[in-house]
Amino acid sequence: MAYIILWIIQLLLIPLFSPLCVGIIRKIKARMQNRQGASIFQPYKDLWKLLHKDEVISQDASWVFRFAPFVVFGATLAAAAGIPTVTILMAQSFTSDIIVFIGVLAVGTFFLALAGMDTGSAFGGFGSSREMTISALAEGGLMFSLLALAFLAETTNLFGIAEAMASSVFALASLLPIGLAFGGFFIALLAETARFPFDNPATHLELTMIHEAMILEYSGKRLALMEWASANKLMIFMTLGASVFFPFGIDFSLSAVGITMGMLAWGVKIFVFCCAIAILESSMAKLRFFRLPDLLLISFILSVVAIGLIIA
Amino acid sequence: MALNNVKKYIPQGYNARVSGNAAFFEVPMGEIVQVVLSFAKLEQMQLKIITASDERKEQRCFKIFYIFGIPKEHLFIIPFIRLEGTEEFPSVAPGIHEAWNYERKIAAFFGLKPVGHPDSRRLMLHENWPDNLYPLRKDFPWNSRPAHANGKGYAFEKIEGEGVYEIPVGPIHAGIIEPGHFRFNVAGEEILLLEARLGYTHKGTEKLFETLPLQDKVRLSEKISGDSSFSHSLAFCQAVEILAGIKAPDRSAFLRVVYAELERLSNHFGDIAFIMLDTGFNFGGAHGARLREMTMRIADRLTGSRFLRGVNAIGGVTKDIASQEQEWLLRELKHIEKDFSEVISIAQESESLLNRLKKTGVLSQETALAHGVVGVPRRALGMPIDARIQYPYAAYADLDKEIALAEGGDVYARFLVRVKEVHTSCNLIKQALERIPQGKILTEGGNISLQKEEMIISIVEGWRGEIVHVVSTDSHGQIARVDVRDPSFLNWAALGHAGPGNIVPDFPLINKSFNLSYSGNDL
Repeated sequence: MAYIILWIIQLLLIPLFSPLCVGIIRKIKARMQNRQGASIFQPYKDLWKLLHKDEVISQDASWVFRFAPFVVFGATLAAAAGIPTVTILMAQSFTSDIIVFIGVLAVGTFFLALAGMDTGSAFGGFGSSREMTISALAEGGLMFSLLALAFLAETTNLFGIAEAMASSVFALASLLPIGLAFGGFFIALLAETARFPFDNPATHLELTMIHEAMILEYSGKRLALMEWASANKLMIFMTLGASVFFPFGIDFSLSAVGITMGMLAWGVKIFVFCCAIAILESSMAKLRFFRLPDLLLISFILSVVAIGLIIA
Repeated sequence: MALNNVKKYIPQGYNARVSGNAAFFEVPMGEIVQVVLSFAKLEQMQLKIITASDERKEQRCFKIFYIFGIPKEHLFIIPFIRLEGTEEFPSVAPGIHEAWNYERKIAAFFGLKPVGHPDSRRLMLHENWPDNLYPLRKDFPWNSRPAHANGKGYAFEKIEGEGVYEIPVGPIHAGIIEPGHFRFNVAGEEILLLEARLGYTHKGTEKLFETLPLQDKVRLSEKISGDSSFSHSLAFCQAVEILAGIKAPDRSAFLRVVYAELERLSNHFGDIAFIMLDTGFNFGGAHGARLREMTMRIADRLTGSRFLRGVNAIGGVTKDIASQEQEWLLRELKHIEKDFSEVISIAQESESLLNRLKKTGVLSQETALAHGVVGVPRRALGMPIDARIQYPYAAYADLDKEIALAEGGDVYARFLVRVKEVHTSCNLIKQALERIPQGKILTEGGNISLQKEEMIISIVEGWRGEIVHVVSTDSHGQIARVDVRDPSFLNWAALGHAGPGNIVPDFPLINKSFNLSYSGNDL
């Protein structure tokens, strides 16, 4: 019973705090541009506003368009349920398997791309084709970076990996492959969550958009779900990175103190990730679209080298 | 003196009427193509504008003027044709590509048909505008609303083939910008063909120039393109001053330089900011916007208008800069220029930014020449063109200035030209304030009476490029026609050629590096 309650709490943490992350990143970016910036709680207000608005749905839209926001949002919740956040529990559960985790996210991406094309607008099609190009290439880096850890921990369960990473002290030699795998993972994170240098979440230029182009036709409640889902996705990737690569402070005891410490550690780690993303986005320009595959290839190669080092 | 200078350019057998620095001569319809082509081949002649006028009431004819300028000598050679009892004229567009849109504009607004023109689609006026209604004819009822017409759609150019598809973009865009429609033909992400269709901000400016009272005409000229308020009103006021025989006081000529350069500064800062922002380089975007705001606040403090509106008047300027304000302005400028240099040096160290700017949106020299591209994109090809030197006005002849040039014709070259011009503008303001004489700033003329049946060409180098105003009067000394040529009119036609070969996500950046005016083009 306690397990189930904890599991639900852990699951809810992601959608509850994901808009805050987006707000924090925007605030840091604003400050780095000498601007005051909106409150870090603004994304919550935006979601609240959108949830109370009417929708405009194209008459050419099919069920895919209407249905997709729920699938996309649901996929992020399902993925959130499978990743270690503050405590290590249900280490035996199959939903936290690497392959399942990536597959669940892919379902969301798939429906997002379908929804982009559904209304037949030129920008939606653009967004979908670009998103598919990028996510097909990003998946390799993501998969292999996590596999590197899986080889090290000898399990493909994410909780198991986090546990192994936290408990066993690896030889100093394995720090290098872990570092390389993290490099590969971080590049894949930026690609999957539509951040710089892949996509510009703040742009108004419809011709340059990737993620935003796909959801351009959405409004009102469905737009709120889409926005929330993309915030969730960002949070999921940051949490995953924090928990499997830097599992400091994760709770094993299931005690109140342990869980509180786990949450604190989680918060600090997520904040560091937010800062890293904000600094990156403030200091560089977006890459030219056709250079993105090169970067994703680097992610893949880093991960493969990491695996090679671990196996050898 | 002027007479002899002009004479050598007039082909034998024509009688020229010389007035001021312009020579007019009538050419029979059958010979005009030959005359214009021979002028266009001469290197020292630049086609400035082709304009028409409806003089059916006084002379029972339409006239079409082909205005050529001779830089440095600051002369204008103007062959014209008379269309009596006909509404057709021979097109020069097959020989001179630059004439293409001038003739289309005459066709749309005067209903005169350029015979032999390869493009019969109507420019600017859309399908909802009735056929056979020509707004710049004198008998057009300007204050009535024409019936809504349902014309056939516009035939965009098209490329067909496997995997090639069309993307319509606009006229409403995701950002807060002016409306314009772009039609892309793409294969995957690569642009094969790009065509812009404009006219969404057509507001009858040229017709209004014929109807409004003189003081309102000055205000109207400020509204041609809001970001070039000062340059456009300067061009108009200069033309009227010549027509009225008023000489603006020397002090006002120097003040005009200061204000015109302030306008250039704030717009260049804005453009530099947006070019960087469009690549996602937020640092540069934020600081460029900050510098633009600082410059606009200077304009506001000096004149009461961030856009320098209400400053130009016929006979000078209305706002003086007192000597302590001059010192303050110089201090501020020094500060801004230092800030700007720091921002640019940081930007130029960003590999990711330079990679986006270089080799993007290359405009070839050949295309630029064919379309008569002016201003920043032309200078970004290393071709010196600058009305401040070639057709000096205000106090520019008394100031030292170099033309800012860059090589390559890509986005980065246009970016660099702007960066260099920021420094020349600061320098020009400094020089102007050092040499400014004391005295009046406005010649109060009482009743302004204009020369009769005269045509004046006034050129100003706006921050986008060369602005041309052609102001003509009728036999009563009333302004009968004002033709405005914003630099955007020429550069829009060339923009489409900078697109192909690039990928679609780079187009906004290319567009921003030109930053053309929709309002100034659509009039």
